[in-house]
Amino acid sequence: MNHDEAKNILLLYRHGTADADDPQIAGALALAQRDPELARWLEEHCARQFVLREKFRQIAAPAGLREQIISEHAAQKKMVFWRQKITLATVPALMLLTTLILFWFLRHGHDDTLAIYQNRMAGVALRGYAMDLTTDNPEQIHAYLAQNHAPADFVLPAALKQIALAGCAVESWQGARVSMICFRTGRPLAPGGQGDLWLFVVDRASVRGSPAGSSPQFSKVNRLITATWTQGDKLYLLGTEGDEQTIKQYL
Amino acid sequence: MADSLDFDSLVVRYYEPLYQFAFSLTRDEADACDLVQQAFCIWANKGHQLRDASKVKTWLFTTLHREFLVVRRKQTNFPHIDLEYAAEELPVVPPPSVNRLDTAQMLVALARLDEIYHAPVALFYLQDCSYNEIAAILDVPLGTVKSRLARGLARLHQLLTGTKREPPNQINL
Repeated sequence: MNHDEAKNILLLYRHGTADADDPQIAGALALAQRDPELARWLEEHCARQFVLREKFRQIAAPAGLREQIISEHAAQKKMVFWRQKITLATVPALMLLTTLILFWFLRHGHDDTLAIYQNRMAGVALRGYAMDLTTDNPEQIHAYLAQNHAPADFVLPAALKQIALAGCAVESWQGARVSMICFRTGRPLAPGGQGDLWLFVVDRASVRGSPAGSSPQFSKVNRLITATWTQGDKLYLLGTEGDEQTIKQYL
Repeated sequence: MADSLDFDSLVVRYYEPLYQFAFSLTRDEADACDLVQQAFCIWANKGHQLRDASKVKTWLFTTLHREFLVVRRKQTNFPHIDLEYAAEELPVVPPPSVNRLDTAQMLVALARLDEIYHAPVALFYLQDCSYNEIAAILDVPLGTVKSRLARGLARLHQLLTGTKREPPNQINL
């Protein structure tokens, strides 16, 4: 190693560090001990390096930086802690809410079933239908309904027996067959109309929330006034345009 | 293993050298604080992945440097001034007056270095870092670190004193 090579090596030497442990630096340092000119250069170099190092070390971190980092970390940890707690609390709350909604839906859904049935049947009567059998013969109507597996063993109220028959049709409700019997009261019919009084008969088990007794319950469904009652294992729904007094005369 | 390291103790031990490194890179107090905080924040989230607790310091410096490079890339309006054109604007400090240099002047000169010399020279003067640690932090081979240091230090010397010292072509320590 010559003088210049030693200088180049010692350029990276930092006094007071582990750099002196490097074999080449150690060799260059040894050469400097024997070479007065190199020793003088090394002394100046080290003094300059020391000054520059001190300049770097004079870079002071702003007051409060350390505390800020620590406090922000603590705050973040706390936030994560609460986020986990909230997540843990949210899951059972959501499950409870879902259960409540399901419970409410099942319960109230059952209550609404009769109303939905009434609406569906009123819709059939009002929005037009095709009469499967047009006849005023009750025997034929009973036979047709029985033949088509629709309720045929229904019992008509005494007043309704006096009303002229127009025919019948078979409708369906959630897989069950519904007998639709059409009457003509003698009032003027709507254009294209074949009847103005309709009786729907279905097994009461297929309509949840059916009234318990044989006393008719009156309710307005669309333009129809309806009377609903049960008798035996059948649910009866009678509907016509008018008011409660109108329909009562057929019961 | 790194899990056992207490966050607060790590901050107490390393926030100052990290800040010095960050400030030497950015020359802006707020940016340097952000970098230090970001490095510790990343440590808080990912530090548990480090298996060797003895490498925490290198890990923190590496993370800070990477974050600096990410931020730097995002700064599209960062003006790059070629050293050749900027040389005339630099303070020329004759050798006897190196002692009178203040830190700001030194950082200005450091900032004038080509980017590849900037971080190695800063880490070199921070002294806490060995050559191996500098190589690990910058993710470059040891030989490359020494080569860059030799050239970077010679260029810094030139910028500070106005005298030209030819850097060696190859340093093989």
